[in-house]
Order: sequence, then structure tokens, then C-alpha cells
Amino acid sequence: MASTTITSKQTPRWRRNNPYVWIAPALLVFGVFTLLPLAGGLAIGFFSWNGFQAPQWVGLDNFTRVFQDQGFWQSLEHNLIYGVATVVGKLVLAVCLAVLLNRSLRGQTVFRTILFMPVVMSFVVVGLIWNWIYNYNFGLLNTVLGLVGLGAWKQDWLGNTSFALGALIVVDIWKWFGFHMVIYLAGLQSIPNELYESARIDGANSRQSFRHITLPLLLPVTMINVLLATAGAFTVFDLVYVMTDGGPVKATDVAMVHIYTEAFQFNQFGYAAAMSYVLLVLISVVSLVLMRLLRQERYF
Amino acid sequence: MLAYRTPPNRSLGVKAARRLADGLSYLVLTVCAVVVGYPVVAMVLNSFKTTFEMYSNPWGLPAHLGWTNYQYAWNEAQIPAFMLNSLIVSAASVVMTVVLAAFAAYAFATFEFRFNRPLFLVFALLLIVPVPISIIPLYVVESRLHLMDTYWALILPYTAGGLPLSIFILRAYFQSIPHELSDAARIDGCTQTQSFLRVILPIATPALATVTIFQFINSWNEFFLALIFIHKSSMMTLPLGLQSFFYNYSVQWGYLFAALSTALVPVIVVYVLMQRQFISGLTSGALKG
Repeated sequence: MASTTITSKQTPRWRRNNPYVWIAPALLVFGVFTLLPLAGGLAIGFFSWNGFQAPQWVGLDNFTRVFQDQGFWQSLEHNLIYGVATVVGKLVLAVCLAVLLNRSLRGQTVFRTILFMPVVMSFVVVGLIWNWIYNYNFGLLNTVLGLVGLGAWKQDWLGNTSFALGALIVVDIWKWFGFHMVIYLAGLQSIPNELYESARIDGANSRQSFRHITLPLLLPVTMINVLLATAGAFTVFDLVYVMTDGGPVKATDVAMVHIYTEAFQFNQFGYAAAMSYVLLVLISVVSLVLMRLLRQERYF
Repeated sequence: MLAYRTPPNRSLGVKAARRLADGLSYLVLTVCAVVVGYPVVAMVLNSFKTTFEMYSNPWGLPAHLGWTNYQYAWNEAQIPAFMLNSLIVSAASVVMTVVLAAFAAYAFATFEFRFNRPLFLVFALLLIVPVPISIIPLYVVESRLHLMDTYWALILPYTAGGLPLSIFILRAYFQSIPHELSDAARIDGCTQTQSFLRVILPIATPALATVTIFQFINSWNEFFLALIFIHKSSMMTLPLGLQSFFYNYSVQWGYLFAALSTALVPVIVVYVLMQRQFISGLTSGALKG
């Protein structure tokens, strides 16, 4: 006891402060490139600014303009459709495949490796590959349709306003379902086997034990999956930019593409910053609502 | 007799049902694996074909290994130069992230000081905020610091973006290492820094590997910030270079396939060789978060 007091008294002042020395470099980079922009974004939202001339204070004008901007709300509607479709698609596919893989089949690792592969690939590479698959004359999809006698279904998938958004949704599901599948697989493996055994003794069939053991116990993992996939859907940019750039006729215009265009093509920095903040608030609200909903379900 | 007969029959039925279920599982998994894998394989095969051969023989193997597409992609389209840029940016951001995060995480995990919890929460809470949201103010920061069209324009924001999760993962790992180890090192005469570098860090190799893979893949694939901060073609990273290549030569599918294969094949080879580390590295954020 006595010896510790002595050493701490002998420790020089800078040594006693040294936790901050250990943290300072990380905090500096994080502060300049994450915290400062996050705070500064709100400030820029109150100015009219084209990036060259001096910014002019306009108060809440940019924010009121966001709420009247039909183009922005239309792009958010696309995000909403995109979000619901990709989240449902990815998670349903992921749960089913995780259950199949969890049956300790031979070749489990091979399947897992292949199905996870698109996660490692960049959205640009994935988008360019799918640009080819969807190509009208030459693409894999129309060629396959022709081969199986469905030649009448051939489409210019990305050039048609009624198919383009759906075509992007398919690509997003293709890229990410393997990721969610691995997370579900980890969730499944954490469920103790005794639960299934005792359910079997009580006379439950396999469908009943899936409904009443597997699904409820996967809820925490589902919450993570839903939140990640939703945040991804509301900030999607790369895939849309590479494949359609918001077109045809704005049919795939999403919020980030809209913000990017306002900022870096029309030089409306203040307005674009205000839109980003509205988007951030919306994402936070949606995430909180989802967390509430899924958490209530847990007390089944 | 009857009593003995029933059980084998029933177990035969169970076995048949199991085999049927196995068969169905294999069928579904194989269909999915083909849908995921075939486009990539077909793209690599097509990269060796001429445009004419791609139309006349879309499914088969190339008649001979033609390297003309690759010559074009490598010499004219500078794909290797883009790869080098990506490698520099990704490696630098990995080194910075790992070093900065390891020191900070160790301080959060072991030292007692007044702002430990609040400072950690600053990092942890921003785990959820997506980087693209603050693109406009980030653009202002970068142009004020004259970083545009330099490697630092990407290295620094990638590092800042990777720090929260890295600190989160490393802190949890450091906390799981028993105190006795660093105490013993201190008794043997190590300073705090020495015991961290020589005793604790080597033990934390799995967590450091997780952070490395996660940060490398994210930096290697990042597109949005590169699109905004890099305009000189000599400084472009691979995703940006591929995108601008497609923009300029969208009709020349052979060239594009060669460029995409060049970009993709090394990544896939490394991934297949180390798939266990890759999968746990890329999902651990979600599983621990």
C-alpha cells in the first residue's frame, strides 16, 4: 500500500498524464477528418456557398428548401424502395442458406467461400460486371433468357425506367447476402443443441422448433443485419453511380447521387450540406425505430 | 418379430428423408454458388477472347489464350499504375490505423483516467455515422490543407474512418489479456511502452490481423472519396481508374474484361488462400458491435 503511494508520487507529471499521449495521435486524425467535418457540415448548411465566393449567411433557407425539393424526396423514395427490397431479399436468402449450411454438410467451407466472395469485391468491379450481364445485345442475362426459350422477356434492363431500380436491387443483394449469411451462421452456431433436443423430447417437429427456437434466438443477429443493411441502403452511391448514374430519367436517383450532383456539379455546397444533414437525421430516426421494433419482439 | 421389425423400417424412412433434405440443400447451395461464381469465371474467360469470338462463342473456353486485351489494359489503360496507387494508399492507411488504434485502444483498455469513458464513447458512437454524410465539409478540410490529388487525401480520411471499429475490436482484445502478463513484464524492468510493444502486442496478433484485413479491403475498394478528391489520372486508385476506363471505352468489352480480371484475380486468390481470416475479419465488426 505504502509503496504504491510512493511510486505514484515519484512518477513525473508527464508520465501520469500519459494516457492522453497514447490517445492523442488517433484523436488528432479522427478529430480533423471525422469530428470536424461532422460539426462543420451543420454550419455550412446555414450558408449559401458555391465553393469559390465568400459564403453568405441564409439562416434556415437551405433547410426549408430541402423540404420543398421534390427531386430530393423522390430520390429518398427510391432509397426507401431500395432499402425494403434489399433488406428483405438479403436477409431471407441469408437465413435460408445459413440454415442449409449449418446442417454440417460436406463441402460447407467451399460453399461459404464462394458465397462470401462478392463481399471482398469493390462495388465498382461488381457494377461493371453487372453492366455486362444486363447489356441488351451481349449480356449474360438476355443470352440465358434466349437459351431457355424466354427470348420474349429480353430487356434493356438498365435503360428501362420500370426495371432499372429493380436491376440495381438484385446486384446489391448478390453482393451482400453472403455477408449476412455468415453472421446468421455465427448466430445459429451459438444456439445450444440442448434446446433442440428438449424440444424434440417434448414432441416438436423440425418446423416447430425452427419457428419457436431458431427464429426467436436469431433476433439479436437479425437486428444487427437489418441495421447494417438499412444504413447501406440509405447511403448507397457507388453502385448507382457506376451502373446508371441515377438514370434513366431519374428512375434510379438516390439521395447520395442527388447530393453529389448538387454539390459537385451545380456547386451548391450549402444546400447539399443541408440535405446531407436531413439524410443523417432520417437515417438515425429509422435506425432507432427499427431497434425499438426488433427489441420489443425479443420478449416473445 | 413384429416388434423388432418396426424400428429399422422407421429409421430407414428417417434416413431417406435426411438424404432427400441433403440433396435439396446441395441443389439450392449449388444454384446459388453458380449464380455468384459464374459471372466472375465467365468474365475471366471472355477476357482472352476477341470481340468476334465473344459473340460467336459466348459460353465456351477461348480458342487460344489471346493476350491482346491484356496488353491494351496494361499499357494503354495504366491498370498496373492504378493498382500501385491503390496499394500505396491501402498499405499506408492500414499501417496508420493499426498503429494509432493499437496505442489508443491499449490506453482505453488499461489506464484509469478521468476522460477514459467519454473519449471512448466519442469513437464508439461515431461507429454508426456513415462517412459520405459529411462529404462537403470534408471536401473543405481537404482543400484547405491542400491535400487534393495527393495520396494523403485518401490515406487520412480512410484512417479516420477505420479508427472507431479498430479501437473497438483492439480494446476488447486487450481487456481479455490477463493483467498479470504486463505486471510481470514491469517487474522484470520493462517500461509501460516496452511491455506493450514486446509482451502485449505479440499476443494480440489475431486482433491485429482482423483490423488489418478489414482496413485493407475497405481502403482497396473505396470509391466515393477517391472520386471527389482525386482528379489527376496519374493519382487514381483502382476503382476510380476502372470506372473512368469504362467511361471512355465502354464499347470495348474485351479491354474492360482484361482490366477487371487484372484487378480482381489477385484479390480473389488472396481471399481463397486466407478465406477464414477474411471472413472473420470482415464480419467481426458486426458480430462484436
